[in-house]
Amino acid sequence: MLRVEHLTKVYENGTVALKDVSFTVEDGEFLVIIGLSGSGKSTLLRCINRIIEPTEGRILWNDIDITALNEAELRRVRREIGFVFQEFNLVERLPVLLNVLAGRLGYVNPWWSLFYYFPKEEQERALVALETVGLREKAYNRASDLSGGQKQRVGIARALVQEPKMLLADEPVASLDPVLAHSIMGYLERLNQERGVTILCSLHYLDLVQRYATRVIGLRDGRIVYEGTREDIRRMTDEEFKQIYGEEAQRLGA
Amino acid sequence: MKVLKRIGVALLSLLVPGLGQAVAGAVRRGFYVFLGTSILSGLSIFVAAQRARFPEEVYGTSARIFFILLLSSFFLLVALRLIYLALIRRVAQDEILYRVGEGLFLVAVVVVFTLAGPQLIERVAPPQAERLLYMTLLLVMAVVLAGLWLWNVQDAWRVAEGREVSWNGFIALVLLGTLVLGTRVVGIDLPKAIREYRETERILGDILWPWRAAFDYKATELRATAKVQAPCPPGSTPPPVNQPKEGEPWVVVTPTCGELSVRDEKGKLTYGTLLTIRGGGFVPGKKVKIKWENPIGNEFTPRGVGPTEIEVGPDGTFTTQLYIPDVVIPSFAKGPQIHKLHVVQPGALEFTGKLSREMKLALQAMLESIMIGLMATFAGMVFAVPMSFLAARNLMFNLRTSPQGLVGGVFGLVLGGYVGWQVAARVGSMLGGIEKAPVSVATLGFLLVGGGAVLGFRLLGRALDRLSQRLPTWARAAIRYGGFALIGAGLGWPLGLGYAHGLLAIAWGEEQAAAVATQMAQIGAGLGALAWLYLAYRWGEEGPVYIGQWIYTVTRLILNVVRSIEPLIWGLVGVIWVGLGPFAGFIALTIHTIAALGKLYSEAIESIHPGPIEAIQSTGANRLQTIMFAVLPQVLPHFTAFSLYRWDINVRMSTVIGLVGGGGIGFLLIQWIRQVQYEHAGLAVWLIAITVSTLDFISASVRKRLV
Repeated sequence: MLRVEHLTKVYENGTVALKDVSFTVEDGEFLVIIGLSGSGKSTLLRCINRIIEPTEGRILWNDIDITALNEAELRRVRREIGFVFQEFNLVERLPVLLNVLAGRLGYVNPWWSLFYYFPKEEQERALVALETVGLREKAYNRASDLSGGQKQRVGIARALVQEPKMLLADEPVASLDPVLAHSIMGYLERLNQERGVTILCSLHYLDLVQRYATRVIGLRDGRIVYEGTREDIRRMTDEEFKQIYGEEAQRLGA
Repeated sequence: MKVLKRIGVALLSLLVPGLGQAVAGAVRRGFYVFLGTSILSGLSIFVAAQRARFPEEVYGTSARIFFILLLSSFFLLVALRLIYLALIRRVAQDEILYRVGEGLFLVAVVVVFTLAGPQLIERVAPPQAERLLYMTLLLVMAVVLAGLWLWNVQDAWRVAEGREVSWNGFIALVLLGTLVLGTRVVGIDLPKAIREYRETERILGDILWPWRAAFDYKATELRATAKVQAPCPPGSTPPPVNQPKEGEPWVVVTPTCGELSVRDEKGKLTYGTLLTIRGGGFVPGKKVKIKWENPIGNEFTPRGVGPTEIEVGPDGTFTTQLYIPDVVIPSFAKGPQIHKLHVVQPGALEFTGKLSREMKLALQAMLESIMIGLMATFAGMVFAVPMSFLAARNLMFNLRTSPQGLVGGVFGLVLGGYVGWQVAARVGSMLGGIEKAPVSVATLGFLLVGGGAVLGFRLLGRALDRLSQRLPTWARAAIRYGGFALIGAGLGWPLGLGYAHGLLAIAWGEEQAAAVATQMAQIGAGLGALAWLYLAYRWGEEGPVYIGQWIYTVTRLILNVVRSIEPLIWGLVGVIWVGLGPFAGFIALTIHTIAALGKLYSEAIESIHPGPIEAIQSTGANRLQTIMFAVLPQVLPHFTAFSLYRWDINVRMSTVIGLVGGGGIGFLLIQWIRQVQYEHAGLAVWLIAITVSTLDFISASVRKRLV
């Protein structure tokens, strides 16, 4: 269970990205975070595994206060939390396989890994993960040779080999076309349903939200302005929608 | 009212340039106008005050006047045009009229200067010319400054009107003024350069086409020899008279024996026997030389006894006469001696296809230079890579620790450095002491001390950071306050000493300053401790201490200072350190390369995508793993490109380093230039040019592929 309590993030230039955000995520939930660009979705996700240091508040992950951990403890928590990025964030110059193996960095012997050496079983595990996302034959290509959708699948494979208990996904499909978007979201859904991985995912398109979310929170200007279940989303009114996306927003397609 | 305001503003600007603009609301504009005008005025006064700048050198003066006038009128033209554009741009029909005027002006300038210029150069005598030059300068500067002033008044007016304003006229006038002043300060004298080029021509020719000196040549010569006995042997026969031979050079000398000439103490010569010399079989139209060989085989050109260079007739023969020269005969040589007379005709030089000694030397030195560059680049890289990570903003700025961690880190630094020093000293003494092996011991010590310090900093810092989390509050406070006080004292002590020996020594003299040095150190330590105790109080238990930013700042500072000292100066240091030779050059280039590459590398690191770093950190990777997986793959191509570029620079630099004794081809080059062997110097220059452009081409094409 993840409990976020009074989380506030103020950047050094004075921007208040998150203001007193509190919510709880039960194990196995598929929580979708919606909101405009700049509403604080990315900051929230990055605060949870502390790629960004929160200014105030606590983040409790199975009753461990993530915000209070030292570096070594934080690394042990991070390896159980996968992260999928909008811009994929692959290391473009490395082969696909090494990109996936990077997901094992928190587990393997750190000294060997510095020379890009991973034991046989780790390599096997990475190949299996690539198989899962259908990219086994690309294992030895350079990551930069892949298309956008393939890159995101590698990103998912990298999160998969972490054997995560929770997956944070920051607009994982915003850079992809709608067909690819559904295929990527499908992987997340299977991860959620088959392996029981808790998923926190920020999304832009309302139809994707309605299709995949079990619960939704809406952010606006760093505050939670909406909280609801999948059913609530399906019944969402234009007023509620505008509250999250602002007055000028229109519902697209739904 | 409005008109009144404009007039007031314009008047203010007339008094102080820029004031009107500032009053009218354009404060920044007013400031720049004031700055530009006052700097140019000050510069004019300064240059005008140095009127005796070239008192002796007056030959080129009239030509300089010509040059300056030409230059000024050109820029005046540009200025006029820009002012016009700024002023009347909107009046379209005026444009054509202006263009015509501009064209006429240009024609007038060209005509006047082609006609008047040479007249001026010829007529004006040097002292007058100097005065005329000076007056011209004053005149031009007065016009420029007046123009600037007027522009400024008009600008103030327009600002007050609220109209669109431009900088064009201002920039043109300032540029014109600066360039005119510049020609005087630098003493630019194009005519002189043209006039005196001839003397350079020969040297330049040698340097530009030195390839004759790159090869060995065999001299072929025609030679014929006759024997002469001196004195004539009583009772026996002198050597037989030669007979002319067909198809080869011959010489016939008669008589074949006689008396030597004698030179007395005053140098006066009493002639001996006159010889008649006939020769043939030589190349017609060219000269032959007569050489004398004494009985022990030394050959010399006889002096004062007759012509020794004779023109060969069209049939290849010649006839001449020569007294037997004065030859010093060793006292043990008694009786008649056999001398030889040679007739020598130097022939064409024969190309052997072998490289000359100098060319071999140059090639060898070039190889040395390339190697110096290569080794310095590699050694520089080894040090620059870790330094660049410390000097990368994006890697260092989020690095922080608790105050307790800082205490541990600083003590670790000192301890590690000390241990490293001790080990280095032991190893050094095993190698025969610092005197015997200065560089290896110093390098080793440097590495050990630095490495020990970094390791100590890291290990002890972390250890204390973790340990203190398990300690009670009072213990943490004790570590913090105690440690900070010690750090403060440790920093303050040398500062106090430095104050005494540095600043006080200047004011009071060495001895008095030395007397108070200890007190000063103590005061410094006390103040430092106090300051750090305050820090310990302010930062509290948590801090955080942005240790990364400190390391970043210090590393950057070191890199910048080292980089701003030219390799040439490092070369001098290297020569003093390890003596003349390539090793000194290597040291100089390595030091500079570390700083230069450190900066370039760190900027490459700063420009990488942060995304992969986030991604790798998210997997639970530690700092080193993040660097290896997210940073290194991104920066490696840039690192390689920069290193190649640096190699290229280093090879070029190593030639310069050679000038101060740092080995390589530069060493050879400066020697040849000093020995006035311009052809050989030309070889060196060519080799450098070929090597540098080849390397440039290679590194450019490799870089293009990498980045």
